[in-house]
Amino acid sequence: MGQHDVVQGTLEMLILKTLALEPTHGYGVATRIEQVSQGVFRINPGSLLPALARMEQAGSVKSEWRTSENNRRAKYYKLTARGRKALTTEEETWNRQVSAIARIMQTSAKASSEA
Amino acid sequence: MPMLTNLIRGIKSLVRSENVERDLDDELQGFLDESIADKQRSGHSPQQAERLARVEIGSTNTVKHHIRSVGWETSMENLLQDIRYTIRTLLRSPGFTAVAILSLALGIGANTAIFTLIRQVVMKQLPVQNPQELYSFGAAGAGGMLGGVDIGTVELFPYDFARQLQQQPGPFQSTAAYSSFGPMVNIRIPGSTEAIQAPGKLVTGNFFQVLQASPLLGRTLQPSDDTVKNGNPVTVISYHFWLQSMSADPTVVGKTITINSIPFTILGVMPEAFHDLKYGVRPTDFWFPLTMAPSVMVQDNILERDHYFLDMVARRNLTHSLTADQHWLDSQMRNYARAATGATLSPARQQEIDHITTPLTSAARGLSSLRNQYGDSLLILSVIVAVVLLIACANLANFLLARAIARQREVSTRLALGSSRARILGQSILEALTLSLMGGLLGLGFAFVITRALIAFVMRGSTDTVLSAHPDGVVLSFTFAISVVAGLLFGLAPALQFARSAAGPTTLSPSTRGTANSGGRFWPKALITSQVVLALLLLVVAGLFLRTLRNLQDQSLGFERTHLLIAEIKPDIAGYTPEKAPVLNQRMLESLSAIPGVRSAALADTPPISSGAWRSSMHPTGYTPGQNEEMGALLRRVSGHYFETTGVEIVSGRGFVPSDTSTATKVVVVNQTLANKYYPHGDAVGRTIGVDLDTNGPWNIVGIAKDTRTLDLHSAKPEPLIYLPIVQLTGPHDSFANIILVRTVGDPTMTTRAVRGALHSIDPNLPILNIRTMQEHLDTFTSSETLISRLTSTFAILAVLLSAIGLYGVMSFNVARRTNEIGIRMALGASNSGVQWMVLRESLWLLAIGLAIGLPATLIVARFLRSQLYQMSPFDPVVFAAATIGIAIVTIMSTWLPSRRAASIDPMVALRYE
Repeated sequence: MGQHDVVQGTLEMLILKTLALEPTHGYGVATRIEQVSQGVFRINPGSLLPALARMEQAGSVKSEWRTSENNRRAKYYKLTARGRKALTTEEETWNRQVSAIARIMQTSAKASSEA
Repeated sequence: MPMLTNLIRGIKSLVRSENVERDLDDELQGFLDESIADKQRSGHSPQQAERLARVEIGSTNTVKHHIRSVGWETSMENLLQDIRYTIRTLLRSPGFTAVAILSLALGIGANTAIFTLIRQVVMKQLPVQNPQELYSFGAAGAGGMLGGVDIGTVELFPYDFARQLQQQPGPFQSTAAYSSFGPMVNIRIPGSTEAIQAPGKLVTGNFFQVLQASPLLGRTLQPSDDTVKNGNPVTVISYHFWLQSMSADPTVVGKTITINSIPFTILGVMPEAFHDLKYGVRPTDFWFPLTMAPSVMVQDNILERDHYFLDMVARRNLTHSLTADQHWLDSQMRNYARAATGATLSPARQQEIDHITTPLTSAARGLSSLRNQYGDSLLILSVIVAVVLLIACANLANFLLARAIARQREVSTRLALGSSRARILGQSILEALTLSLMGGLLGLGFAFVITRALIAFVMRGSTDTVLSAHPDGVVLSFTFAISVVAGLLFGLAPALQFARSAAGPTTLSPSTRGTANSGGRFWPKALITSQVVLALLLLVVAGLFLRTLRNLQDQSLGFERTHLLIAEIKPDIAGYTPEKAPVLNQRMLESLSAIPGVRSAALADTPPISSGAWRSSMHPTGYTPGQNEEMGALLRRVSGHYFETTGVEIVSGRGFVPSDTSTATKVVVVNQTLANKYYPHGDAVGRTIGVDLDTNGPWNIVGIAKDTRTLDLHSAKPEPLIYLPIVQLTGPHDSFANIILVRTVGDPTMTTRAVRGALHSIDPNLPILNIRTMQEHLDTFTSSETLISRLTSTFAILAVLLSAIGLYGVMSFNVARRTNEIGIRMALGASNSGVQWMVLRESLWLLAIGLAIGLPATLIVARFLRSQLYQMSPFDPVVFAAATIGIAIVTIMSTWLPSRRAASIDPMVALRYE
């Protein structure tokens, strides 16, 4: 199956959602997104880690150093209250956009089928 | 909050960058390890897993860079890097950097200097509490004493009115009065041998309370000090006098000094910043209670009715309306006038009285004669220095544009390597700001020197002044602000160039460098043209002012201007009584005439031309005045040899002769204006005239003198003037001569010492206020015109120089860039002179456009200067022609060298040049 990078503009939202379930480190986020999307989305670390740094700068996530499952020192990211709010907002926007696109796609299909 | 955490994190990362590096490495390494472990779990071999994981992550350095650039500290590091780069670049072309900083320094320095002066002369508020509540009655422009006038028609007030309003201020919080001029007083400090003279002011007891000014030491005057006529000799002294003449003695309060031979007790010292409400060149040194006026002004009756010599000031309650306050004041004055008129009040008189008004004028910034004299000039100058700075900026913009074109390859390379356009532009702005801030710093130094020179000029060498050349916080911020604005102005010029450059391989090829890309050549042309316009404007303005000054200086005055020495003395404050005056006068005349090198000597009350005026009403016999006709004349009291000494011509009859003694018939000489006005048939000589003076007339007219300039150099028509012989005058004031005139054979300055010696030998205590030549005295009447014409010509020359440098630079650069093209032209048959003409033609075209825009623009601007000019039109053709020719010559000269260089290009070399 094709493996793509995430839909443009949705990376932060997906990260927020992932972290909402459970705090984890950078690789953990990448793995989870790949698993949950059943392989459709594969995030390249070159965009993931800077995105996490940006979100930390904006205050949506907080980081702390912990020991990971493999007994290594790893940076764990956690959602903040601001992040939770951001997630809700982004989710709403996304849903609105998706339904709008769906409506457009349906009407064109009908129109072309009638023509 | 995230901002604070980010700030702290950024600082931590700047300061302890190894820790941050370690964290980044750990995070990436951790990611990598997890990825490898994962892949191994999926069944890859360790090496394969590692390879796959690394491929996924890509370049760790790039990832680290991206993570780092999220924080602000990276921008900071970038900034520091850019600054170091900028400094290196600037140092690499020291000539350019030096010229740039110098021209910026001159422009910014000039602006700062003028701003400093404007702040102090025009803008500064009085250093008292709530200055905006202070309102003066009238503009208080005059200083002097008048009698026989209506209150409210001249802006001076008599003592009784001032007292009345002080006690019943009506809607005002309080009102005070002060002498409209600062009479010089004779001071003797115990323990010193010499007497000094300094200006003092007479004020009502509540003056300092109305101003809400507090003393530095001791106390200020109180209303209780100001009750008994001549009864309370106390004074408050200025900081300047305390410092200079009393050595800042901290125990000065309560000490006594002798003023005009009377012991005065010092009540207090005012702080350094305080300089009185109405001030001129010389700051006031003493404040006396108004009741002491008879002693201080050496005039017994000055506090009586009909002596108008006070200015008044009120502290208003700002919640009241100005019109209501104005009405109240007017009604007070009208009541006073009605009471003064007496019983019968004709309807005409009633009408007159009902029109009496004196406008309440804001005194928040004090009443400064400096502002009146130089205010306009300073504002004009502020525009001019702004123009000079603009020209300097246009130059630099052109230079930077040229450099941007030359560095196109470097820019394209950087863009290709991944730099953002913003960063490149930012770096060029940084370069511009570095230049302009350094120019600003140097400019501060220039400004200090320029301001000092200007103040010295305005103060005419006297050191005790209210102006200071030291910059304060506001001036420093101003300098910083215009440095930044200037830097941004020309720093954005390369941006216009970058907007065109594309980050593609096309710009790296050599062929594009040779073509004259006409789109990119617009801005240099526009800048040069605007420089031509501005330089033309400045040249014309300078020319107009120079011509005006010349007109003022060269006009015929009616009296001798070169071989005349003027000395100012004040016998009354040294204790001379009116009875002793004639003897003193005689002795002075004899002693002075005996000095070798002196042709003749004379005495007068004022120099032949003086802003001070002694006037009174007069009644020529045989002339019936019309209804409401003003029958007044200027008066001058002079000694016998006045007319020969000053060179004033007697056109009819005679001057004064020795037989016109105090007991002989009273005689006068009148000027032509008076004679023509009142005796149009030419029969003035032999008639009599009555003059309202302490001495009784009637006076016989024995001669007519030629009209002279009497009050200033500007006014159109002379006033009627009567010369009275000093020996025939009596009264408390009129027998004193305050001016000595000495006509010399040679250079008048050589006789100064002898004159001083002669006066000293008569009376060593006679106060000599100053001695100067007539030429120096005349110069004081043209000081603001001299100032502005000197400055505008200096700035115009500077502007033209800057424009010339700019034009030369741009033309040279163009020729260098078009070397290839020129080589081709010459190879195809163009002649040397043809090529030279091609280059010249370009700049002549710019000159033509510049003149086409500049001449109409200058004509429009010149209109606003009409009020500043004298006896010439603002569209004076000579000035315009001279300025145009000047600009044309400079343009051609600046282009000459580059054009010759173009003509001498060897085609063989040029074709290979890139």
